[in-house]
Amino acid sequence: MSAAATRNRLPLPALIGVVIGAAIMVAPLLWTLLLSLKSNSELMRDSAAALSPPYTLGNYRDILAGSDVPLWLLNSLIVSLGTTAAVLLLCSLAGYGFARLDFPCRRSLFIFVLLGLAIPEQAVILPRHQLFASMGWHNSYGGLILPGLAAPFGVFFMTQYFRAIPKDLDEAAMLDGASRFRIFWKVLLPLSLPAQATLGVFTFLGSWNDYWWPLISATTSDKYTLTVGLASSQMNYAQTSGLGFLMAQAVFASIPILIVYIIFQKQIVGAMAGAATR
Amino acid sequence: MASLSLIDVHKRYGSTAVLDGVSLEMEKKEFIAFLGPSGSGKSTLLRIIAGLETADSGEVWLDGRRIDGLTPGDRGVALVFQQYALYPHMTVRENMAFGLRNAKVPASEITTRIEQAARTLEIDQLLDRKPGQLSGGQRQRVAIGRAIVKAPKLFLLDEPLSNLDAALRNRTRVELAQLRQRVDAAVIMVTHDQAEAMTLADRIVVMSDRSIQQVGTPMEIYDRPANRFVAGFVGSPAMTMLPVTLDPSGNADAIVRLGNGTLIATQIKREELTGETSFDLGLRPESVTVAAVGAGTLDAEAVIVERLGDRTLVYARLDDGSEITAVDRGDSKLHMGDRLGLLIDGRSAHLFGSDGSGYHAEQTI
Repeated sequence: MSAAATRNRLPLPALIGVVIGAAIMVAPLLWTLLLSLKSNSELMRDSAAALSPPYTLGNYRDILAGSDVPLWLLNSLIVSLGTTAAVLLLCSLAGYGFARLDFPCRRSLFIFVLLGLAIPEQAVILPRHQLFASMGWHNSYGGLILPGLAAPFGVFFMTQYFRAIPKDLDEAAMLDGASRFRIFWKVLLPLSLPAQATLGVFTFLGSWNDYWWPLISATTSDKYTLTVGLASSQMNYAQTSGLGFLMAQAVFASIPILIVYIIFQKQIVGAMAGAATR
Repeated sequence: MASLSLIDVHKRYGSTAVLDGVSLEMEKKEFIAFLGPSGSGKSTLLRIIAGLETADSGEVWLDGRRIDGLTPGDRGVALVFQQYALYPHMTVRENMAFGLRNAKVPASEITTRIEQAARTLEIDQLLDRKPGQLSGGQRQRVAIGRAIVKAPKLFLLDEPLSNLDAALRNRTRVELAQLRQRVDAAVIMVTHDQAEAMTLADRIVVMSDRSIQQVGTPMEIYDRPANRFVAGFVGSPAMTMLPVTLDPSGNADAIVRLGNGTLIATQIKREELTGETSFDLGLRPESVTVAAVGAGTLDAEAVIVERLGDRTLVYARLDDGSEITAVDRGDSKLHMGDRLGLLIDGRSAHLFGSDGSGYHAEQTI
C-alpha cells in the first residue's frame, strides 16, 4: 500500500460512522428512485413492492408524453441559466469595480451592498410583488429572473476574489498597453474562472430550487418552474393514487441538478471545503 | 541629449512626503541603479517613471518627449516586476505577445520578436509552458523577455534579483550584465543590495529620506561618499565612524586627533574643512589593518572575528568603547577577546562634518 493511501485511510470506527451516515443520506434517494420505477397500482396495494421487481419506466413515459413537466423543466432551465449568466456578469463587473477602481464613496457603497445580505426575502416579498404586478412583469421570464439578480453575496464574493489577485498583473497589463476593459476581460476575468464557477453553480442551484418567488410570480401553468409545477400536481390523494408518478417527477426534476453536479463537482466540493476551513 | 530627465519630482501620500524634489539626468544606454533602504522612495520614483504612480509635481522626459502625462503603455518603457507579474493563465509565448498585440504589431513580427528574444534568453524550449510550470529563474527570464520584445527605450527593473537564491542570483547578475550590452536602451534598476548596484550599474543613485543623496559611478560612491549616510550605507562591512577633532598641527593636509589623543594624518585638504573643528573620521575596513599589540596606531580588543577565507574581518572595541572594523590575513590567528594593535591608514580616511557632508583625499580615485 502506498504511503499516501496509508495516510488517507480512515480508522475503523470513523469508517463505520461515515458508511452509516452515507446510508442515511442515500436511502431516501434510493427509495424515491425505486418507487418511481413501479406502477401506481402496484404501489397502491403495498409500497413495499418497490423493493422487488418487476420495474417499469411507465411513469417516465407518462411524464414525457402527457404532462407539463418537460415545459416546466424548460422554464426552470431558462430562468436558472438566465439568472446565473446575469449574476456572473453583474457580480464580476461590480466586484472588479469595488476591488480595483477608485471612485467616490466606494467604501460606503460596498457596505451598502453588503447590507443587502442582512435583508431576508420575506421582508421585501410583498412590495416586490406589488411592484412587479404594477409593471405587469408577473408570468414572464423577466419577472422570474429579475429578483435573483440582486446578489450581494455574489458581489462580495467576486470583490474578495479580485482583491486577492495581485495588482502587479493589472500594472503589467497597463504597461503592456491594455485598456481598463481589456485588463478586465483578458487578465482578471480568466483568472477569476474558479470563482465564477463556484458562484455560478450556487446561483444555478439556488435559482433551480427556488420555490417561493416563482409560486407568487408564475400563476399560469405555462410559466411554472419545475418546483412550482411539481407542487401543483400533488393534489389530494397524490401520495396514494399516484405515488410512482410523483416520484418519477422528482427524479426527473433532479436530473439537471445531477448533471450540473457531475460537471462542476470539483468547484462545489472546493467551495464547501473552502467555507469549512476559512 | 539625455535619455531620461527627471525635473523636480515631488510625491506625497496624504501628509507623508515620499519624494522631495528629485532631479536626475540619464544618458542613452546608461545603466543606473537606484540604491537605498526601504522607504527611501526609490520604488516610488521607478513607478512614477513607469506611469504607475502620478507625481504631484515635476516633469519626466524620455528621449526628448515629456511622458508624465501619458499612460504607462504609451511611454516606451518596460518594467520587470519584482514578483515577475507574469499572466498565470497565458503561456510564455502569450505573455510575451500580449503587449505587442495591444500595440497592433503584425502577427508575423510578433512571432519573430518572441523567437529572437527567447533564443537570447535561452527560453525557447519554454514558450508553450505556463508560468506555473517554470522555476523562479525561468520566470525571471520570461519577465525580462516580455520586456525585451517591446523594444522599449527604457528598461525598468524592480529588485530583479531579490527572489532568487544566492547561486541563481550571482548567475543572473552576470546575465543581466551581458544582456544590457545587447539591448539598445537605457536601464534603471531599483535595489537595496549594494553588490548588485556596484557590479551592474554605470552610475548609482543613492536615495534616502525622500531625496537623492548622491549620484556617481560605483567607485565614486565608494571612495568619495557625499555624506555620512552614503558612507554608512555603501560598503560592507559599513564604514567605521570615530569622533575626532582637527589638530592645529599639519600644513596643507588635515591631521586629526582621536579621543585618546592619537594623531592621524589624512590627505584631506585642510582648506576644504570650513571652519569646523569636530568631525567624524570615516574608515573603510581595508584602511585599518591588524598589527601586534603596541605596534599599531592604537590598541583594541577583538569582539567578533569573521573568517572569510581570503581575509578575516575583525570587529574590535577601542579602549574608549568605540567600535572599529579591521582587516587581517585569511589565516589570522586572532580570537574573540584577544588584544591587538590597529594600524590606521589615514591616507584613505574620510571626514564628515556636523551636517554630514563628506571630505575626502583628492587622489583616492
